[in-house]
Amino acid sequence: MALKPALEHLVKGIVDHPDDVRVRLVDSRRGKRMEVRVHPDDLGTVIGRGGRTAKALRQVVTSIGGRGVRVDIIDAY
Amino acid sequence: MTVPSVEDPPPGGADPAERDAAAAGSTASGDTADEGPASADAPAGEAAPGEAPEEAEAPDQDAADPEELFQQSEIAADYVEGLLDVLDMDGDIDELVSNGRPMVEVVGGDLQSLVGQRGATLEAIQELARLAVFRQTGYPSRLLLDVGGYRTTRRNELAAVARNAIERVKEHGQPVRLDPMSAFERKCVHDVINATEGVVSESEGEEPNRRIMVRPE
Repeated sequence: MALKPALEHLVKGIVDHPDDVRVRLVDSRRGKRMEVRVHPDDLGTVIGRGGRTAKALRQVVTSIGGRGVRVDIIDAY
Repeated sequence: MTVPSVEDPPPGGADPAERDAAAAGSTASGDTADEGPASADAPAGEAAPGEAPEEAEAPDQDAADPEELFQQSEIAADYVEGLLDVLDMDGDIDELVSNGRPMVEVVGGDLQSLVGQRGATLEAIQELARLAVFRQTGYPSRLLLDVGGYRTTRRNELAAVARNAIERVKEHGQPVRLDPMSAFERKCVHDVINATEGVVSESEGEEPNRRIMVRPE
């Protein structure tokens, strides 16, 4: 599944510190989720005004095969 | 979600779509403009430079010269191409500047997953691509993304919706309220209404339930 590299690519392209982007796919009993970690300075960018950017990222993930996969943007690097 | 209203582009590179929407109400009747020939425009000054109102299209406030615009479309094209690569999807990517706006068009086989329901994924990727441009240039971009000709097709469908509404308004002399639409979709409708004598349109309500009212002039 190319979800993880896809999300990585999407996030890296919009942040100031692409090397600090980490995406982890977590497969737990409660379902799959992807955890996105970015440089603290990029957190606002990745979330976006009112969560717009996070929402856009989720929309793409859902559409490319990640239906049901949560995308969590983690607030601590 | 915060309420989209007229506010400024987030430092992160805001996205225009919503603010268009916001601006739309006030300008709807004025904007004939669109990706089309920069034409009569929205009551000036609505959009901040670089802003990309789909609806309230302002003339040309992008300070950008053609070269900068083309550079924006190149950055966005790289970003989208990277996505296609990772997903192992085939598609030809074209970057261009059309009517003063940077554009990226992707054509190819099965691209539906990049379009999504009623273009939702397309809008999301466009928004992300605009952010990618913003990060590299420092300027907000009015980039337009199209995948598989979706926007063109949708524009034609919406023109039919608009013509139908015009007919009803003219026939009954009563306002007609259309279904909720995205900023892009509303703009397609406004364009047709604005080009027609005897009817005016404006948007009402909040996203995602913002919808157009068509009235007799």
